[in-house]
Amino acid sequence: MPDDKQPKADFSDVEGGSSSTAPPAPSSGRTYTVVKGDSLSKIAKQFYGNASQWKKIYEANKDTIKNPDLIYPGQTFKIPDA
Amino acid sequence: MIRSRRIVWAAGLGLLVIGTASCKKKEPPPPAETSAAPAPAPAPPAFAVQGVELGKSIDADKKVSTPTTTFGRKDTIYASVTTEGAAPSKTLSAKWTFQDGQAVKEQSESIAPTGPAATEFHISKKGLWPVGKYKVEVSVDGSPAGSKDFEIK
Repeated sequence: MPDDKQPKADFSDVEGGSSSTAPPAPSSGRTYTVVKGDSLSKIAKQFYGNASQWKKIYEANKDTIKNPDLIYPGQTFKIPDA
Repeated sequence: MIRSRRIVWAAGLGLLVIGTASCKKKEPPPPAETSAAPAPAPAPPAFAVQGVELGKSIDADKKVSTPTTTFGRKDTIYASVTTEGAAPSKTLSAKWTFQDGQAVKEQSESIAPTGPAATEFHISKKGLWPVGKYKVEVSVDGSPAGSKDFEIK
């Protein structure tokens, strides 16, 4: 019986960028480097006092966060203003 | 003699009265009516995505030079998102996916637009693009704002 499962396409070498005619949004310039045991909720709680604000950090760092449930020690995230 | 003096006095007094009357200060003309205060500038339109265009290159104003939805396996793919309105901070995101739903790339750009603007996202691949159908979905602060399908042949 032939295997009808197609191998998944590999997009690991995809590169990208972005730019705009609009001025960049003001940023606090804050960054945070992940340490062991961190999660986006935990970081959001630390900076915003509210763990449910984790999406804000996720949205600002989509370039580097593939899966919001998987972040790694050493990763540095931009922390948007509250 | 007395009578003639009286006549002279009377004539002098009359001239004095006429002179005083003619020297009466004229009333200043009423000030010209000022025109109504200019209408306040209309509020800028609310921020919104106007459209998403795909192409193989962009020009200086971040707009796609020649829109297309068909690309070659070595092409760089540009998505130009045109917006209108002003906002202190908006995050535009582009999510590129393959036909099977697999994520190709996610990007975001935080902007503070003051009027019409164009924001471009582009992707390229060191190797050849897998042939097939793709989609780019654009969101603003996490809310869907438009999408475009394209194909790589």
